[in-house]
Amino acid sequence: MAYTITEKCNGCGACARVCPADAITGEKKKLHVIAAAQCIECGACGRSCPHASVLDATGTLCGLIKRSEWLKPAFIIKSCIACGICVDTCPVGCLAMSDLPRDKGVAPYPYLQAAKACIGCGFCSHDCPTDALVMQKPAKS
Amino acid sequence: MPKPYMGKILMVDLSSHTLTEEVIPDAVYEQYLSGMGLGAYILYNRIPAGADPLGPENILGFCSGLLTGSGSLFSGRWTLTGKSPLTGCWGDANCGGTFSPAIKRCGYDAIFFSGISDTPVYLYIKNGTATLRDATDLWGEDAIATEERLGARHGLKAGIAVIGPAGEKLSLISGVCTDRGRIAARSGLGAVMGSKKLKAVVLDGVKRIGAADPAAMKRLSRHCSKWVGFNLPLTPGSVFARVGSFLRITPVLFPQDGLLYTNILKKWGTGGMNQASIEMGDAPLKNWEGTNRDFPIAKSRKINPDRILETEIVKYHCYSCPLGCGGTCAAKGMPGHTHKPEYESILALGGLCMNEDLDSIYYLNELLNRAGMDTISAGATAAFAIECFEKGVLTKEDTDGLELKWGNTEATVALIKKMIRREGLGDVLADGTKIAAAKIGKGAEAFTVHAGGQEPAMHDGRNDPGFNIHYSLEPTPGRHTLGAHLYYEMFQLWKRVKGLPKPKPLFAKSSKYRIDAEKAAMAAACSRFMSLANGAGMCMFGLFLGAKRTPTFDWLNAATGWTLSPEDYMVVGERIQTLKQAFNVKHGIEPKNNFISARAQGTVPQREGANKGRSVDVEKLACDYWTQFGWDPDTGKPKDETLRKLGIS
Repeated sequence: MAYTITEKCNGCGACARVCPADAITGEKKKLHVIAAAQCIECGACGRSCPHASVLDATGTLCGLIKRSEWLKPAFIIKSCIACGICVDTCPVGCLAMSDLPRDKGVAPYPYLQAAKACIGCGFCSHDCPTDALVMQKPAKS
Repeated sequence: MPKPYMGKILMVDLSSHTLTEEVIPDAVYEQYLSGMGLGAYILYNRIPAGADPLGPENILGFCSGLLTGSGSLFSGRWTLTGKSPLTGCWGDANCGGTFSPAIKRCGYDAIFFSGISDTPVYLYIKNGTATLRDATDLWGEDAIATEERLGARHGLKAGIAVIGPAGEKLSLISGVCTDRGRIAARSGLGAVMGSKKLKAVVLDGVKRIGAADPAAMKRLSRHCSKWVGFNLPLTPGSVFARVGSFLRITPVLFPQDGLLYTNILKKWGTGGMNQASIEMGDAPLKNWEGTNRDFPIAKSRKINPDRILETEIVKYHCYSCPLGCGGTCAAKGMPGHTHKPEYESILALGGLCMNEDLDSIYYLNELLNRAGMDTISAGATAAFAIECFEKGVLTKEDTDGLELKWGNTEATVALIKKMIRREGLGDVLADGTKIAAAKIGKGAEAFTVHAGGQEPAMHDGRNDPGFNIHYSLEPTPGRHTLGAHLYYEMFQLWKRVKGLPKPKPLFAKSSKYRIDAEKAAMAAACSRFMSLANGAGMCMFGLFLGAKRTPTFDWLNAATGWTLSPEDYMVVGERIQTLKQAFNVKHGIEPKNNFISARAQGTVPQREGANKGRSVDVEKLACDYWTQFGWDPDTGKPKDETLRKLGIS
């Protein structure tokens, strides 16, 4: 299963720019296409499409969401086992393990090192074996 | 139904620069899993008999574990496979870090290289597009510098495996490095990569890895992580030496629970047992001739686990590992951070050479990681050279003036630098002890300790005879991560697999040294289980928790949707093990020639120390062990009926 682009697409290219899997191709101002074999269903294309032209894997129309409102991971450090699964699973590499230990002991911890790169896919939260990450709206600064 | 494997491999012919994707049928995964099993399946079928390990026909495989990325824990290990130029046998080396998921995220379970490139190249895969790129500018760079340059070029998220100068110079004790200082070191497969003129593999993919039942995976992982978080009260590291002394003298033992070992690993890492191992006779000293009396507590306290902990800044966790036995350290005289040296490195570069200088061990560990040379074999070869010098086989003229005396730190460091650069005597030693002894002559063979050409690890089979079984009888000789009497106790397989012997709650230590069919059954169970684990990409330290606490079999079923029993999975392990042995037979290996050297067998038993008077009859062990697998008890070759039964053709 994969995301698809409908005929409504006007070829603005917003989806292709945000796709971390390089799955979207198309000429400027022409219909874009998602390569099903490449798509990882992160949903970034759907959230960034200004013309409501993207259907998710179940065929549901995706809605545009302002990037500043995309969900971001928040860490529940006491539940974290430092396994690094979240860091690895992040398709844009916005998470990292700390070079410094936690307050007590010497265990490292994951953190959002590049918040602007985060596409709010939630893979980190989904894959965390101990549910030590939750996706939430970013706090207004 | 989502699967934890990608169902595809990439074949790269470096001679023609051709890249071909191949679909692997589900049945292959059901029979061999992925990782080492898939590697064995491909290499057995495609490397022609008698192929030169450093020639174009050899195939080097980078194989991720079947469970990697499925939501299981302890499943981040990848296996490097190939025909070993060090032993001529099936060769493999495995490593943690972050490289195993990187393979799968590119959409492949494994990447195999055949042929030889005219010029140095590296493979770069980015989101489904694989290309071979020029690596001329990287050739000659050390492993960590290469990784940093490629990381800067292609993004820090990329998984990168590289060879250092040792692999380029075809040192037969070289490996493949990842994660700035981790190394798949054994079997000399770095030289195979060097022979192919392949400098690096750079993987930058984002594919999702599935599981048939993600909820079950999460439930099982939580069950396991609960046990990892179970903290036992631990004494200071200095007390461990006394624990080792007690284990040396006690006439009775009880089966060890791996929970204690995982707690030690969590706090200190593999170096936690340094002093205890020396005291109890587990660690070989002075090129396997010494005893704990030669390296008493007054000396070994300089490599005390607490001294190592003092240098640690932060723990290092491999992918999907909640234990974190690794560490990032800032050691005296080291520029920047360095990986915490492992037990094997500390003892090979320390006690085996009678070197008690911890700073030099850090230095050599970093030096060898950068060179891409195996610390076990490098330390063992240095110890061999020192003994040759001490006994007059080598002279100062041979060593270019180095005073190779036991415990001479400066000379040991200088010698290992020569080995890395292949200068003078270093050139002779850079291919390990067996080849060095043949070149040196003058009876130097008597001072070598190897199994089939590979230096064994820092666990003495005269203390735990299980190690000598696996050093001598595994298709990959000289390996310590496949089984031992101690491992059997900790794996607690009898709690999940029917028909396996259960150790008595209290037993006489002397019974460990009695050779009987039960020992062979235990060793065979370890071999089957670890072959399975290496197919799944599991870490042995996680398995030390015990088969009920680390639910390997259940993870495999939940990830794949299969409904196999633990006994069925042990048959999968047996199939992988037998295929590796069949690989050796195909390539003309006589398994009997791989028995570990007489010194390590205790053919002439030690006169003092922890292993006083002990010897291990490997010949007798071999018959019993081979019988367990349905291999010929006299030759170790798999019988036709066994191959048929396992579906190996």
